[in-house]
Amino acid sequence: MEALDSRDEVVVVERHRLLCSHDGKSWLENRIRENSLTHLVIAACSPRDREQIFMEACGRAGLNPHLFQLANVREHCAWTTDRKEEATEKAIRMTRIAIARVRYQAPLEKKEIEVNPDVLVVGGGVAGLRACATLASQLRKVFLVESTDRLGGMIARFEKAFPDMRDVKSYLENLVNDVRSNPRIEVMTEAKVERIIGFFGNFEIVVRKGGSDSGATELRVGAVILATGASLADPKGIEGFDLCAVPDVFTALEFEDMNRRGCIVCRNGSPPKSVAIIHCIGREEKGYCSGICCMYSLKFSRYLTDKISSVQVTHLYRDMCVPGRFYQDYFEESLGDRVKIVRHRKSRVTEKEGRPIVLYEDVNGRENALAVDMVILAPAMEPADGSRRIAEVAGIPLDKEGFILERHPKLATESSGKDGIYIAGCAQEPKSIEESVIQAEAVAGKIMASLVPGRKIEPEVRISTIADSFCQGCGSCVAVCPYGAVSLDERRKVAVVNEVICRGCGNCAAACPSGAASIRHYTRSQMYQEIMEAVR
Amino acid sequence: MTRDRALEIVVVGAGIAGMQASLLLSKAGRKVHLIERASVIGGLATKFEEVFTSMECATCMLAPMEQELLQDSNINLMTLANIEEVIRTPQGFKVKVRIKARFVDAVSCIGCGACYDLCPASAPNEYELGLSSRKAIFVPCAGALPNIPMIDPNLCLRFKGHQCDACKQACMFEAIDFQQKERILELDVGAIVVATGADIINTKELPKCGYGSIEGVYTSLEFERFYASNGPTSGKIVLRDGRVPKSVAIVHCVGRSESGYCSSVCCMYSFKFNHYLRSKIPEIEIIEFVTDLCVPGKAGQHFMREAASGKTRIVRVRDLEIREGTSQPIISYSLEDGDRDEAAVDMVILAPSLVPDPGTQELAEMLDISTDNRGFLQVNKDNRIEWARKGIFVIGCAEGPKDIEASVAQANAATARILREGLLDEL
Amino acid sequence: MISLDRLRVAALVSDGNDVKEMIVSLLGKALREGVFDAVLVPLVAPGQDSYDYVLVGNPSLLKGANPIPPVVPVSGGRALMSLARRGTGDMRIAAVMRPCEIRAAIELAKLGQVDLKGITLIGMDCPGALPLQDFVKSPEDGEEKFKTVLRSFDDDGVRPVCKMCRSSATLFGDLHFGFVGLEDRSCFLMSQTTKGNDVLDRMSLGTGVDASAWARGIEGLSARREAGRTETLGELSERVVGTEKLLRAFGDCINCHNCMRVCPICYCRVCGFDSQRGGHPAVDYFQRAQSKGSLRLPADTMLFHLGRMAHMSLSCVSCGACEDACPASIPIAQIFSLVGDRAQRAFDYFPGSSVDDAIPLLVFREEEFEGDDENG
Repeated sequence: MEALDSRDEVVVVERHRLLCSHDGKSWLENRIRENSLTHLVIAACSPRDREQIFMEACGRAGLNPHLFQLANVREHCAWTTDRKEEATEKAIRMTRIAIARVRYQAPLEKKEIEVNPDVLVVGGGVAGLRACATLASQLRKVFLVESTDRLGGMIARFEKAFPDMRDVKSYLENLVNDVRSNPRIEVMTEAKVERIIGFFGNFEIVVRKGGSDSGATELRVGAVILATGASLADPKGIEGFDLCAVPDVFTALEFEDMNRRGCIVCRNGSPPKSVAIIHCIGREEKGYCSGICCMYSLKFSRYLTDKISSVQVTHLYRDMCVPGRFYQDYFEESLGDRVKIVRHRKSRVTEKEGRPIVLYEDVNGRENALAVDMVILAPAMEPADGSRRIAEVAGIPLDKEGFILERHPKLATESSGKDGIYIAGCAQEPKSIEESVIQAEAVAGKIMASLVPGRKIEPEVRISTIADSFCQGCGSCVAVCPYGAVSLDERRKVAVVNEVICRGCGNCAAACPSGAASIRHYTRSQMYQEIMEAVR
Repeated sequence: MTRDRALEIVVVGAGIAGMQASLLLSKAGRKVHLIERASVIGGLATKFEEVFTSMECATCMLAPMEQELLQDSNINLMTLANIEEVIRTPQGFKVKVRIKARFVDAVSCIGCGACYDLCPASAPNEYELGLSSRKAIFVPCAGALPNIPMIDPNLCLRFKGHQCDACKQACMFEAIDFQQKERILELDVGAIVVATGADIINTKELPKCGYGSIEGVYTSLEFERFYASNGPTSGKIVLRDGRVPKSVAIVHCVGRSESGYCSSVCCMYSFKFNHYLRSKIPEIEIIEFVTDLCVPGKAGQHFMREAASGKTRIVRVRDLEIREGTSQPIISYSLEDGDRDEAAVDMVILAPSLVPDPGTQELAEMLDISTDNRGFLQVNKDNRIEWARKGIFVIGCAEGPKDIEASVAQANAATARILREGLLDEL
Repeated sequence: MISLDRLRVAALVSDGNDVKEMIVSLLGKALREGVFDAVLVPLVAPGQDSYDYVLVGNPSLLKGANPIPPVVPVSGGRALMSLARRGTGDMRIAAVMRPCEIRAAIELAKLGQVDLKGITLIGMDCPGALPLQDFVKSPEDGEEKFKTVLRSFDDDGVRPVCKMCRSSATLFGDLHFGFVGLEDRSCFLMSQTTKGNDVLDRMSLGTGVDASAWARGIEGLSARREAGRTETLGELSERVVGTEKLLRAFGDCINCHNCMRVCPICYCRVCGFDSQRGGHPAVDYFQRAQSKGSLRLPADTMLFHLGRMAHMSLSCVSCGACEDACPASIPIAQIFSLVGDRAQRAFDYFPGSSVDDAIPLLVFREEEFEGDDENG
């Protein structure tokens, strides 16, 4: 303390045992007021823990919180060594550095904006629709953007859904009606989201309807939900299932379509008398189990046995995946004298005498042949192209399978790594309708609890500032900004910072050769003062 | 029908599902009364050392949630508490809660643990499934939160009439209070969230698995405690006589034919066990006796392949029996084609069915909800979280066996439903 | 490697003129026929002792034009930047300059400092340029010297950077006058872009000429220069790499910042190293002098050079303007070429070849730059 006392402009040097305690903070505020301090330096612990608290204390005492500097003499000094004398020397130096720096700091003003409670939902499948219906209320508007011309997504092709075999058409009709008739939900079909910048409570969105030349709509929302779904893998790419020449072989979705049209028939126009349903198509190639195929395959055998009295169905499966309270019952009730299950290892489908024939290796390694009238393939679920695209627009990563990466695989599967951007449905991972709906509601819960109208957020004030007089409009800062917070004013040929979106990461200041871009509170002068004092 | 907003909510059970629901409701500004039967929070997951598939440390994953919960002023946490009565009202429910006395003052106690050593009374530790013992004044295990002991009045000598105040003498903070009384609270709430979790099926009553009679046969929960660094063996995997096992059999689907459903997490945790075993005993031989491998999801199969890549054999069986051999348990099984075979191993780990928590039936009666033929609370099949009559939500393993992510999702979804009430444009 | 199949090659008619006259004549014709509204081309300076870039709209003023002058006092890239930073409006302008200058212009386009939309970049085979300061002292000798070099392309007497030029191996720009390896008074006009093709069409220049002789000539020339580069830079690195050697190399530097001012890539309105933001108090200089023994003033000479390297070496096209401008005769272009080559190689980047080839530091790639094994 003695070492610091003699510095000019330092009017008070004092010590407190536990500054971050309740008493400590009051004491601090009093000292600031009593001495009418214009700047404050504290030598203590890590800014990560305490900077916020001390800044708030300054604010309460009438001192601008940015005219304060914290020297971390604990983690960066005392806790790094046993050598007391040298540590003390270093602590003195560190405090002097903070004193030198603080003089050059500017009194930045706090910014406050109200969160935007509205929500953007990307994808009009069951997860997206459910999210809209749960979220829309007098408290918030919901915008639904769907790239095709209709709502409903993949499940619009199903007649029934497991495990309760509910009628999907009426379920979906009700859900779509709820969404379309809701005055708080704006639906945009044949539209794509082109731009998402911002952060939780404050996103700027650009949606483009139709082709690339049609008009773009700008939206502002507080949260974004990505519900772009998944697709089923094309069996053509999978060994043993390149089926150009084989008749009466259908993928799961093709079979759903046929079933919905009300005519499960072979090429010759008659209903099949024998059907093979092959599970796990593409499971090895993809490296994961899609989780829903055993259940929907059983659903298919129910479609068949309900509609064709004399049909024989054989399931060729590897593992019967029926987890949870309700699925095993469903499985057991699906079997019977018309439905058999055969465990197998590998299979392929070929044609013999105009009919499909399944050649498979059973659990003992023996080759078997099963000639049937019709084959249904249950392919793996894979990420949709739309998911890849929207993840790029949103600036969030995909996992190694290509699904959108969740924030935490156990505690936060409905959130992405970016605050305010959520994921619902198969875009995150293959799952059933029930699970998609729960996840959509989970997202809604998260949003409803945090995006409360009237709540304020304080955007970062230690942000970039670009001096027009030095800027040559080269655009380097625009290129390196991870937040899309800098743009080029073409007319004046200078770069402009969006002060609400900028997070003060410093990339622009690093990339700018002329020094036009600098970060408030981390200016060259301030850094220079620190460095000079450090090496003095 | 538009209900009023539920400004106060009761959450029953402070496991992951209950904690998540409480935290999210609190974030939304609601007041939560979190009722937990045990003296500590965290539920079943606190017994795990690591979780699949990231093999993340379970404590590290839970601790931030638990800390946040303990400091949240909107959440009124009541441990050692049980619901006594529930009455429906026009606004919701009147819930009567009985809070047992802890006999330790939560404000003064700093959790130093000085009181344990001197206590003369001990008994098997239920949390550790009887694998180790505890004192009459105890915390279930190191690291559990809140880190405040309780006194078991059934074990404590003083409560049995003897003169003993060893713990009080040892305490430097005057935190022991033998006079503490149990309390009864009446809460007026708008909604109830049931998150009472699950337990494993009573393997003692299952024929053919030899649990309790054959040396070397353990349940998965017991094995979790062996591996746990804060467990009865401090993480050493040893048999009762101190030998390190050279071979292990993990038997899936134990009790599945009795319960009638797949518990969905066992295949995955068995592969987690492969990781556990190999990290301590690299050359150990592992045999997995399975019926069907249930590893859905984008990470499941890869996790399985990676974990079982060493000396692990996966054997599909039709039926299986465990009997006592001369020096080891012997597993006698039939393969799918009917052939029979046997395997002698040093240790057997059973993966038992997950069944509803024992208190479920009583709770169901209080809530006036029926249970199904397995003892799970009946739920509205249409949306699986909410019961047919509004206001009661069932989440987590109380609703059916599931993993942590699914429990968390249900907790968040239930919160959405509660927050929706009182808003226009209701479905 | 020149790939002839992507080029449209027309042969210019000589009428007894030499290559320079043929080029000027073509430019005049283009102006008269309205193919261009103006031409940016070097013209002899009023004192007859140097050359300036001039924007010419009137074809009759092309008399003093010299598309391949013996010296390059101002880089064509800089001239173009001052003209067309905001584009050329509706005007179509032909910019006739050496390949390295075209490359500089393309780098500037990536940096938003030149809008190339209305500009047709026309290059030519380059015999190198003579050192500027020598030329200015005795222009007549220089002109004589250059005549020989232009005829022989033997690089005798040209600037060191020209002897190791990397801009000869391919074509840059839209059009290119090629005459190396051909008979005397023969010249091809080659196009490699739509813009260039458009010019050929509008001037009704028939294409389909066999340019293989020229291609061979160019390959020989560029191979020699590439070998020269390896040798020269190899020797140079012995002399300048390492702190002591580097300081010695820059020992004569007077901190005039001329090199930065003439560099076509240095586009900053005010160079960060010029501004006085530091504002060091005298006691700081004294301290530095104390701790190092002594301190040269003005200070921070090396900081300026190293900083400039950090800022522009990825885009350095070895045009040599810096070395021409250095009053202390420091081989600055060669040193910067050494650094530039290594930096560019680390990113597998060749500046100035295409506007679509983004500058590496401004592009995010998830996996890149796994380290330079040469220097760790």
